[in-house]
Amino acid sequence: MTPDSAVLGDSEAALFGAYELGAAYDEMIGGDGTPRPHYSPLHRRLRQTSPDDFRRRKAMTDLSMRQDGVGFTVYRADEGIERVWPMDPVPRIIPAAEWRQVESGLVQRINALNLFLWDVYHEQHILRDGVVPARLILQGGSFRREFVGVDVPRKIYIHICGTDLIRAADGEYLVLEDNARTPSGVSYMLQNRQVLKRVFPALFNDYDVLPNDDYPAALLDVLQYIAPESASQPTAVLLSPGMYNSAYFEHSFLAQRMGIELVEGRDLFVDGNRVSMRTTRGRQRVDVIYRRIDDDFLDPLTFRPDSALGVPGLVNAYRAGSVALANSIGTGIADDKGVYPFVPDMIRYYLEQDPILNNVETFRPEIPAHLSHVLANLEHLVVKRVNESGGYGMLVGPASTREQREEFRRALQANPRDFIAQPTIQLSTHPTFVDGRLEGRHLDLRPFILCGERVTVTPGGLTRVALPKGSLVVNSSQGGGSKDTWVLAEGRS
Amino acid sequence: MLSRVADALFWMSRYLERADHLARAVDVTFHLDLDLHGVLSNPVELEWNALLSLLRQQRPPVAEGEHPVAAVQRWLLLDASNPGSVMACVNRSRNNARSIRGSISPPMWRELNKLYWRLADPAIQGRVAESPHDFCQEAQMGVLLFHGVCEATLTHDEGWHFIQLGRHLERADKILRTLDSKFGLLEGGDGADLPIRALQWGAVLRNCAAYEAYQRLYISRVEPERVIEFLLVNADFPHSVRFCLARIMHSLTEISGRLPDRSEDEVVRTVGRLLNDLVYFDGHGLDGDRLHAFLGDALARTARIGHLLHDQYALH
Repeated sequence: MTPDSAVLGDSEAALFGAYELGAAYDEMIGGDGTPRPHYSPLHRRLRQTSPDDFRRRKAMTDLSMRQDGVGFTVYRADEGIERVWPMDPVPRIIPAAEWRQVESGLVQRINALNLFLWDVYHEQHILRDGVVPARLILQGGSFRREFVGVDVPRKIYIHICGTDLIRAADGEYLVLEDNARTPSGVSYMLQNRQVLKRVFPALFNDYDVLPNDDYPAALLDVLQYIAPESASQPTAVLLSPGMYNSAYFEHSFLAQRMGIELVEGRDLFVDGNRVSMRTTRGRQRVDVIYRRIDDDFLDPLTFRPDSALGVPGLVNAYRAGSVALANSIGTGIADDKGVYPFVPDMIRYYLEQDPILNNVETFRPEIPAHLSHVLANLEHLVVKRVNESGGYGMLVGPASTREQREEFRRALQANPRDFIAQPTIQLSTHPTFVDGRLEGRHLDLRPFILCGERVTVTPGGLTRVALPKGSLVVNSSQGGGSKDTWVLAEGRS
Repeated sequence: MLSRVADALFWMSRYLERADHLARAVDVTFHLDLDLHGVLSNPVELEWNALLSLLRQQRPPVAEGEHPVAAVQRWLLLDASNPGSVMACVNRSRNNARSIRGSISPPMWRELNKLYWRLADPAIQGRVAESPHDFCQEAQMGVLLFHGVCEATLTHDEGWHFIQLGRHLERADKILRTLDSKFGLLEGGDGADLPIRALQWGAVLRNCAAYEAYQRLYISRVEPERVIEFLLVNADFPHSVRFCLARIMHSLTEISGRLPDRSEDEVVRTVGRLLNDLVYFDGHGLDGDRLHAFLGDALARTARIGHLLHDQYALH
C-alpha cells in the first residue's frame, strides 16, 4: 500500500466496500480483483471520493434531470406518472480498439439489413435461395405487402438504428436485438454527457473522451439526403404522437437540436399526394418526415383505421415519392425476433463476409429438436415472444416461478413459432452507486447508427443499467437506469 | 409557424399571467385582511368574497376544522380540482410549454419546469395555511423570471409575439375585472372614512402591481378617479389596459406584417377601436353606473379579441 492509499483507506472501504464479482464479466474490475487498465484512473478517482461527496453528486444528477424535464411517463391505472430517468454518475468506458471492432460490426450489420429489406420488398432472392424461410417473412406480422415493389429513396430502409449489445462472460460483445423501427434513447445518451460534465467535471480530466454531440447534426444530414430531388431546400419535420408519449422528451429534444418543427398528426394533411402542415400563414409543404410513430398508426387509410395519431393519405404520398419517411415503412420485418437468428446468414449472403459481431445463440422452437431442448431447459433459458418488445412477454428462466414456466411450456407447445429462446447471458456488470456504495449491476449498450450518404455510428451509445440487484432487465419501464458512455480517443488510452 | 404551436405559446403565456395575477391578488387580500381586521366588522367576508366574485368563483367547500379564509386560500392557490387555481394555471402553462418544447428556448422550459416543482413542494404548500405570502411571492417571481429569460433567449419573431399576445390580453382582462369589482366602492365611499378607503383603493393598485408607480406619478393620497385613470389609460405603465392594448396591436402588426390602418383583419380593427376609446377616455364626472357600463363593454370587447385571434390564426 502506498502512503496515499493508506490515508484514503477509509473512503475506499466505504465507496467500493466489499465489491463483489459475480459470474458475469465486470467492466471495471478484472478477474484478479484489480481494475482493468483503461479504468484505473477512474478507479483511483473514485477511491479518493467519499460516499457523502458522491451522494451529493448523485443528488445533483437527479435534480438536473428533473429541472430539465428529462422524464418519461409510465402509464398505470389510467394515470400518467412522471418519472425522472435515473442516471448513475459512474461512467462506462470503452477503449478505442474495442470500439473500432464494435463500430465496424454495426456498420456491417446495418448494411446487410438494408440490402435484405430491399431484397424482400423486390425480387426476394434470399427467400428463393432458401437462406431465410419464405414463410417466416411473408407471414410475419410486420411484413408490409403493400410495399412490395415500392422504391424507397436512395434504397435505404433503415436510416436510424439502435442495436442492443450485451457482453458475455468472456467479454465478447454480442448482438441481442436490432431496433430498426423507431428506436429511442439517443437523447438520454446526449443528456447524460451534459449532466455528467456538470456534476463531475474532474472525471473528464483523466481521459480523452470522444464527443457524441454531433448526432443531431448527422441525423439532419440523413434527413436532407433522402429528400425528394424536386425539393431544393427540403423541409424536414419530426412527427410525434404528442406529449403523452413516453419518448416525448426525446422528440422535442431532437426537433429542437435540429431546428425542425415537431409536428403531430393533426398538424399535417395530404392534398393531391402532397404533404403540408397547417401554419399561421396557411399551408407549408413538407418534404421529409422523421416519424416516431409506428407503421400501424401512420395512416388510418392504409393501416389501423382507428389511429388518431396518423395522417390520412400519408402512405400514398410516400408511395408517390413526394415525401420521404425515416425510417421507411416495413422495416419491422428486419428486427423481428423470429428473423433475428438469420441476420448472420444475411451478412454472409449479401456481403460475403463473416459477421464481426455475433448473435446470442438462439433456439427456434418451431424446429422440433430445438423445442424439446427448450422445454427440457426452461429454468436456464430466456424465452421471448417474437412480437413483443420493451421487456414484456418474456420468461427469464433462472428468475421464474414454477407457475410461470408451466404457462410458457403450454404456450410453447401450442404455438412454437411465436417464440425464440436463448441461454441466460449474465450481461456484464459495472460498479453503480446504490445505497451509499458501489455495487455491480448488469448493463447493456445501445449504440445509434445512422445510414444516409454514409453510415455513421455515434461514439458510445446509451448504456442501460438494471438497478435492482441481480436483475437482467434494463428497460426504463422496468426499473432501469442509465450511464454516460465514454469511447476513448485513439492512441491515448 | 404551426397553428398548434402558436396556440400553445399563447396559452402557455396566458395561463402564466393568470397565475401571476391571482397569486398577487391573494397576497394583497391576505395583507388587507390583516389591516382591516381591527376596524371593520367583517372584513374577511367582504374582501375574500370580492376576490371570489372577481374570479367568478363560488365559495369553496370548507374542510372540517378549517378556517373559512384558509379554505379560500387553499382553493385559490393549491387546489388542483379548481381549474383557476395558481397550481392548476402553472400546470396548464407547463403542459402547453411541454407540448411545444422544441419551439421555446431550453432555459424557458427549465425555468417554467423549476417554477412548477418549487410550487409543488409540500414544504411551501404546507406554509400556505399560516401565510400564503411565500407561495405567492415564489409564483410571481417565477413568472417574472420566465419572461426575463424569454425576452433574452427567444428570437423576437412570430412565436414571441404570440407569447406577448397571451400575456397582455390576460393582463388587460384582469385589470378590467379588478376595477369592475371595486367600482361599488366609488359610490358607497361616503360612509367609510378616508384611511380605510385609501387602504381599499391601495389594494386595487397593489392587485395590479401599480402602487409605487402610482405614488411616483401623482405624489398624493390614493384617489379613486386617479386610480381608474392610471390603470385604464396610462400610456407607459405595463399594468394599464391601454399599455396592454398597445402591445397587442404592436404584436398583431408584427405577426401580420401590415400596418394597422391597412389591415382588414377584424381582430386588428377591434383592438384599434378599443385602443382609441382608451386613448381618448374622459373620466371627468364619471359616476359608478357609467363606469360600470364602460368597463363591462371593454371586458366584452377584450373577450371578443380572444375569439377573433382564434379565428384569424386557426388557433384551437
